[in-house]
Amino acid sequence: MADRLSPPVFPSYGVGIGWRPEIGGFVEGLPGLRFAEVVAESVHAHGELPPGLQILLDRGVTVVPHGVRLSLGGAEPVDPDRVEHFAAVAERLHAPLVSEHIAFVRAGGVEAGHLLPLPRTREAVDAVVANVRRVQGSLSVPIALEPIAALFDWPDEELTEAQFISEILEKSGALLLLDIANVYANARNRGTDPLDLLDNLPLDRVAYVHVAGGAEHQGLYHDTHTDEVPQPVLDLVTELCNRHRPPALMLERDGDYPPAATLAAELDAIAKASGYPAVT
Amino acid sequence: MNDTWGISGPTFLTWFIAAGVAIAIIAAFHRRSLFRGDRGARVDNLGPQQVAYLNGGDRLAIYASMGGLRAANALGTGPGRTLVQTGPLPGGVTPLDSAIYNAAARGVRTRDLPNDQWVASALEQLRDNLERNGLAVGAGQMREARLWVIGGLALVVVGIARILAGIDNNKPVLFMVFATIGAFVLTLTLLRSRRYATDSAMKSMRDLRYKHNYLAPSNSPSYATYGATGAAMGVALYGGAALYSMDPAFAAEAEVQRIAATGGATGSSGGSDGGSSSSCSSSSSCGGGSSCGGGGGCGG
Repeated sequence: MADRLSPPVFPSYGVGIGWRPEIGGFVEGLPGLRFAEVVAESVHAHGELPPGLQILLDRGVTVVPHGVRLSLGGAEPVDPDRVEHFAAVAERLHAPLVSEHIAFVRAGGVEAGHLLPLPRTREAVDAVVANVRRVQGSLSVPIALEPIAALFDWPDEELTEAQFISEILEKSGALLLLDIANVYANARNRGTDPLDLLDNLPLDRVAYVHVAGGAEHQGLYHDTHTDEVPQPVLDLVTELCNRHRPPALMLERDGDYPPAATLAAELDAIAKASGYPAVT
Repeated sequence: MNDTWGISGPTFLTWFIAAGVAIAIIAAFHRRSLFRGDRGARVDNLGPQQVAYLNGGDRLAIYASMGGLRAANALGTGPGRTLVQTGPLPGGVTPLDSAIYNAAARGVRTRDLPNDQWVASALEQLRDNLERNGLAVGAGQMREARLWVIGGLALVVVGIARILAGIDNNKPVLFMVFATIGAFVLTLTLLRSRRYATDSAMKSMRDLRYKHNYLAPSNSPSYATYGATGAAMGVALYGGAALYSMDPAFAAEAEVQRIAATGGATGSSGGSDGGSSSSCSSSSSCGGGSSCGGGGGCGG
């Protein structure tokens, strides 16, 4: 277990992007890129890597595997086969860290096909921590946990969001993958101040940050990852970096990909908001 | 018991098959020297339409141009599966782009594009340029390679004559029928196998395909991101199927065929010559010779 008082220090990677096969050619063409993320479940642990990813690795770009199917928040223990694959992918990519969500995707053998939020209770904290420790047992690098955007809260919650996250990090020794667009979405949908959450999170434990776009639909803001990053999210990036600038911030785009120039402009906007150099 | 034409069945069959194999092998070597191309020829500075021509001839060059025009919102389909203009002609286009764009104004169908005089002349220009640079196999070289079809045809004629004479002479002709079918398949293969790229161009093309692997349909590439040039290059390297992955409705309406590029998306080292590789596997005659030891005369 990692020492909670001294989170590992990563070099500054600057602005990165989520590598997706659909835009692999665009990612490959970013001259200043030093950080990318790939969905762990999309990589073969032992076979050949997609040429685009291999090219990034050969160039010395840090590629972090991002799990979406471990179901760390499930009541049952994480599936050892999935954990083994996750760890093998991390080795394969020579990743300095890995990441997963604080969520559950299956329960009682039924797949939800979605990241589902946990009730913010002490019991849930213990369940997540137990699973994180199981995963850490197979990993040789730190894991960063990402709280998800939730469109609803469970009744009878004991902890605030900041307390919930902080407790999980403290008890597991894990790092934080902060999704700034989720912070914005949750605050906006609950009518709270996103800065309150930023002020109450252990920002020194942030390994890297997701920045994504969203859209409003029937009065609720959805963290779609298929729309442009709105200005308020970029403003939050600036607020975050003013408090404690994380080693890396990356654009997370998962569909409805725009022209290359638009994607490049989004990356530049993140660079500007965070004060990191442009990678385009 | 007198042999047909004074030659015993097994002897005739053996010589017949030997002639077929000889034609296949010599034609293969001939092709190899005809299609060698310039050793130093490179394809990485070529445009998508040139790459498309090398991969799949006129038709793929047309598809690549259509892919680029479509991605630039300049081309669509109208009633009766005709092509129509849907926007202004983008800047920096090739003569083939302009020709297809103008043909679309007249409501030409995709399959009639090669007959359009402006399209045909743009294609000719494209071809000439590639041939001059030792990248494309010229029409003259292709004609020369196809001379071996005459040998194949002669074999088929002799085979048929022998079968008829054998039947007339009350001899079994089954193996001779197989051998003649084999000769026919060989002839057809020699006639139909078409090469666009020289060997040196094909070698260089493999590197290009690796470099542009992100355009492979298996990646479901985002053509909105890669733009018109990316779309055209995707079609050039991965065939008509790339147009389907990019814009299925347009590709279907325009009756684009899912032709694969000759080099294959997997980048297989692809038999440099169709004639020799298929002649033995396709014609049952190759193995048939050995079964003739059984006395009873099998070659008619």
